[in-house]
Amino acid sequence: MKNNIKIERARHNLTQGDLADKIGVSRQSINAIEKGKYVPSTLLAIKIAQLFKLPVEELFTLEEGE
Amino acid sequence: MKSNYLLSNKFKIPGWLLLCAGLITGLLLMIMEFDSDILSLSVLAFYNSDSLFSSNNGFFVIITNGVFDEIIALCIIVGGLLVGFSEEKIEDEFIYKLRKDSLVWAIIFNYIVLMFAIIFIYEFTFFNILVFNMFTPLLFFIIRFNILKARA
Repeated sequence: MKNNIKIERARHNLTQGDLADKIGVSRQSINAIEKGKYVPSTLLAIKIAQLFKLPVEELFTLEEGE
Repeated sequence: MKSNYLLSNKFKIPGWLLLCAGLITGLLLMIMEFDSDILSLSVLAFYNSDSLFSSNNGFFVIITNGVFDEIIALCIIVGGLLVGFSEEKIEDEFIYKLRKDSLVWAIIFNYIVLMFAIIFIYEFTFFNILVFNMFTPLLFFIIRFNILKARA
């Protein structure tokens, strides 16, 4: 699964730590999600999407074959 | 992310202190081959079979034992459990996953190492492996978890 968190984060001028604080998760989680190492739960995905005021599908997209 | 088996984050530092103190004294004791009769006390043994005096053999007997090595072993285990199973500063689903993955990895790795030891190490040296093996699952778990967390 791909995601645009890094781009959205840059647009809102947030560091990984800032974003983590706002959502209440660890900085490691944001880093792992951005790198595609970790697929977040629906709960966390919706929280991030709501923060950026985007629909979840715009933030997270399936890759081919998934 | 709430889970029912984790202790408060306050236990992390006491855990590290106990674990390090236990490991260092334990290794020193092993390397320097200290007498195991330090802190000799009368203790209750649920079962004892290796006393020279037959009156001290059997179930629920009082025997004399140097309890220093027992104390060290308990320090390592209690310290290890506190370190491994107390909450991180920020506990979330990713940390939870790292912890679970590390536990699985530690058990598998531990038994692979043990299998090699069974095949290639014999006689009394193997007894040392058994002693180490009391602690290695917990230690591998703690090391793996902390490496994964630091790299993430």
